[in-house]
Formats: sequence, C-alpha cells, structure tokens
Amino acid sequence: MSTNNTWILKHPWSVRSFHYLLVLSFIPLAITGVVLYFKPFDGPTMNRYMQVHVVTGVILTLDAVAYFILGFTRVIAFVKRSFSFSANDIRWFSILGGYPQKFLLRKKVAVPPMGKYNSGQKLFGICVLIGGTVLIATGWGLWGFPHILPHGMAALFGTLHLVFGWILILFLLVHVFLGIYMFDDFKAMFLHGRIPYDEAKEMAPLWVENEIVKIGR
Amino acid sequence: MKEERYQYEESPSYVSRREFMTISGIVIAILALPAVWIRSAVAKRNSYIRARISGLYKDDAGSKVRVSHANNGVARLYKDFAVHPLSDVSEELFHTEHYIDRTRI
Repeated sequence: MSTNNTWILKHPWSVRSFHYLLVLSFIPLAITGVVLYFKPFDGPTMNRYMQVHVVTGVILTLDAVAYFILGFTRVIAFVKRSFSFSANDIRWFSILGGYPQKFLLRKKVAVPPMGKYNSGQKLFGICVLIGGTVLIATGWGLWGFPHILPHGMAALFGTLHLVFGWILILFLLVHVFLGIYMFDDFKAMFLHGRIPYDEAKEMAPLWVENEIVKIGR
Repeated sequence: MKEERYQYEESPSYVSRREFMTISGIVIAILALPAVWIRSAVAKRNSYIRARISGLYKDDAGSKVRVSHANNGVARLYKDFAVHPLSDVSEELFHTEHYIDRTRI
C-alpha cells in the first residue's frame, strides 16, 4: 500500500488539550520547584516563586482531574498500555531502544517490535501516573492543609513531594529531548494529532497491527 | 484544524468491557485506600492530647477544691505569711525574677 498520504489519528483533541495544559503547568512547576529546593534568591523573590508554584499546581490539578473524569476511558487505556509487559520490554531495555547506539555510535540496531508506547515510554507513563498523583496529593496537603496533618505525615508528604518531583523533572528532560527528536510525533501532539502510517508502522508495529482500524472517510 | 485528514484511528474496542471494569476498580481502589489512611491519621492526629485533656477534666471533676482562691492552704499561706496576693512579700518570694527561655529545651 502506498502510504505517503496515509495518516493515523494518534492524539485526538482531548489528549492534545490535556497535554497543552500539562506543558503550561508542569514546566513552570518544575522550574519553580528546583528554585524552591536550592533557594538561591532572597525572601520576597522566593515567595514569588512559591506563588507561581502554587498557581501552576492548581492549574495542573484541575487539568488532571478534568481529564481523569472526562477522558476516563483514555486514562484506562493508558494504564493498560503502561502496565502491559512482555519479553520485548526486556530486550528493549537491554539495548535502551537503540538510542545510545544511534546517538553515540551512529549505528542502527534492530529494536524489538513495540506497541503505541515503547518500553521507556511505559516506564515514563508509570512514573507519571504514580508520581503525578503523589505530587498532586502531597502538594495540596502541604499547601492547603498543613495545620491538620499530623507532624509525621507532613514530613512524609514533604519527602515524597521532593523525591517524585525530582524523578519527574529528570524524566521530563529525557521526554522533551526525545519528544522533539521524534518530530512527527511532536507535530502530532502539538498540531494536528496525526502521524504518517509508515512512521507508525516502523516505530510502533504492534500498535498498527493490533489496535488501528480503518475508518470510512 | 486538519484532524479530518486521517484514514486510521485506534480501535475503540482496544480495552474490553471486562478489562475496563477491572482496571477502573484497581485505579479507584488505589486512589481511595491512601485517602482512607490519610483521613484516619488526620482524625487521630491529636488523640494523645485529647486523652490528656480528658484525664485532667476527669481529675478536676473529682477534686474538692478546683480553683486556687478556694484552696485553704493557699489562703492560709497568704494570711500567715505573704499578707495578700501581689503584696511586696509575695512578689519577692513567689514571682520569677529571671526569665529563662525554655522553648528550645
């Protein structure tokens, strides 16, 4: 089949709008979070960073809760994809998806067939699901209800917020780099939602084979 | 928006009804269990203080003398020794002269 002009809808409008708000809220949260951790500025400036952190945290919460409710079926599909493992994932991690060989050695190695998300993306998805939920819950606890939290629980919330914050920030750096590197997917997420059939068949053959259907257009 | 220009999309039946119910149940349970734990811990956060308050009130209810000005011993002390509350003698003997900050002890 000639597939040059054949496209698959990968990210529908609901996913893209959720992702826009996620970008607009999480990047300021990550930057202000790092500043709040290292405290390089004086009191009033740090206070301003805290205010930005709180406001963007509220935006992130509203975005996540709205998507959880309105896009619940997609959330469930995301959970299923993120927690579906096979021997291919072990093989993928053993070569790290072929990316180090590609970037460092300019060498293309055979990569095991992947679904919609490769193994690294699944790991990222699991971290986002668990870490995002923990960050939102602990952030609200620390900001909104510190006076009713038992002392030990407030300390635990602080530690969890810190640990998961760093995990997601470090993952974010990789995510942004590879997200821009996979430029067709980048355009799909930020512009039109669709990716070329050929590209999808090469990068995610199991997704195209098992989950994609032709529509009557 | 160029979203119309695609020929393929994800199958809506990727997640079966049974899988949907199972995963939904697990997700909601995982979200609910910590919420229950947090609520329980918050409800019990001052239980030892409340127990102490309750004990003090219980002791107080069983006491014959509940206020210092009705305490015969204190009244006799002032009468025989310190003249009256806030007198020079009582101030000299009973009041603290040197404040010691013990908040950090």
